[in-house]
Amino acid sequence: MSTEFINMIMPMLEGAKVTILLFLIAIVSSIPLGFILTLGVKSNNKIVSWLAQTYIYLMRGTPLLLQLLFICFGLPLLPVVGEYLVLDRFVAACLGFILNYAAYFAEIFRGGLLAIDKGQYEASHVLGLNKWQTTTRIILPQMFRIALPAISNESVTLVKDTALLYAVAVPELLHFAQTAVNRDFTVVPFFFAGMIYLAITLVLTMFFKWLERRFKFV
Amino acid sequence: MAIIEVSNLKKSFGELEVLKQITFDVNKNDVVAVVGPSGSGKSTMLRSLVYLEEINDGSISVAGHKLVESGIYSKPKEINLITSKMGMVFQHFNLFPHLTVQENLEIAPKLLKKEPFSVIQRRSTELLEKVGLSDRAKAYPSQLSGGQKQRVAIARALMMDPEILLFDEPTSALDPELTGEVLQVMKNLAEEHMTMIVVTHEMEFAKEVANRAIFMDNGEIIETGHPSVLFTNPQFDRTKAFLNRTLR
Repeated sequence: MSTEFINMIMPMLEGAKVTILLFLIAIVSSIPLGFILTLGVKSNNKIVSWLAQTYIYLMRGTPLLLQLLFICFGLPLLPVVGEYLVLDRFVAACLGFILNYAAYFAEIFRGGLLAIDKGQYEASHVLGLNKWQTTTRIILPQMFRIALPAISNESVTLVKDTALLYAVAVPELLHFAQTAVNRDFTVVPFFFAGMIYLAITLVLTMFFKWLERRFKFV
Repeated sequence: MAIIEVSNLKKSFGELEVLKQITFDVNKNDVVAVVGPSGSGKSTMLRSLVYLEEINDGSISVAGHKLVESGIYSKPKEINLITSKMGMVFQHFNLFPHLTVQENLEIAPKLLKKEPFSVIQRRSTELLEKVGLSDRAKAYPSQLSGGQKQRVAIARALMMDPEILLFDEPTSALDPELTGEVLQVMKNLAEEHMTMIVVTHEMEFAKEVANRAIFMDNGEIIETGHPSVLFTNPQFDRTKAFLNRTLR
């Protein structure tokens, strides 16, 4: 391998690390948060339900890029509290992704819940299971299985959305590719960047396919 | 001795009165067939007994415990105690699709009964044998036929040792050639003197197995009696009309 190639590829691999790290942090945090939001929406408490629904509406109704820019550059400009809200860029970006993706996952889980027949609740009731047992043993396993293809799809989108970090100047995969293109006057880094994204999404897709097979019951 | 006492039960869905003044008793070891046209309130009545429907007025007591008296329900703990005396089999089986046949049987006792798992396993194995499905223990519900699913559902209900079994149109969702195997299991239970209330359209089964039939129409019990009498010599026009339509 030529030094030129190594000089090009090494920063990109470093950037890919940031991409993957952001992806992992975002997905591990936003899935449970999304589930809590679903419970919020389904809550009998009207205020809790309204808050959760409004949150989901706001997060899904505005561009992720706007939310990222707001957290990175908008928060510090707020009067009084702004000076305490200057976050590390990467932390800010993680926060943005988690908050945004939680709203999408909440909707995916809600869809999963809707797909569960009311007979499942009735059978659980008649067998004497309490609400907690019904939820954790009967409803959630089915909900996750039903939601799995949609979760998989959303995860692939998340991998590609990490490129939005480019806009808030967190050096990640696309950033280094663009730098290399500018520096060396060659289109090759873009192809490599594309291949790295494809490799990540391939692994991810295979993982979810495996999960789907593993928990196949219908 | 009455094991279930129902009096003046009333239930409305909004404006629609689905149950008007339902009163009846079920004795221990009775097999009661509840028949009547669609929309007559049979299923709603049955579901009220296990608190799947909340009634608006009237009383229900099971084995001496009051589930609801004059429209006022007992405390949740008491309700649980009462509903645990009953098992229920649904028209659409309602098996848990993410669990195997054996797991479907074992999940409730595993979570609720204070007994060693080996005892639960022994019982689930016995019950699967009883309904003729020992070879399908590891299968998932989606791999079973309708008749097999319903037999699993019956076995699952029996796992909790109910004193009373309720059947809500257990064969209505089945292909005609699959009803026999389910009815046979129910017949065996009747012979073992299980107390059963069966909402059904299977008049032949009602005649053969039940020792009492209740005819409901339009939210009321029109008449009740031994199936051999009720089906051959009904006293009321509405019963006659229904029987003419179904027994032809």
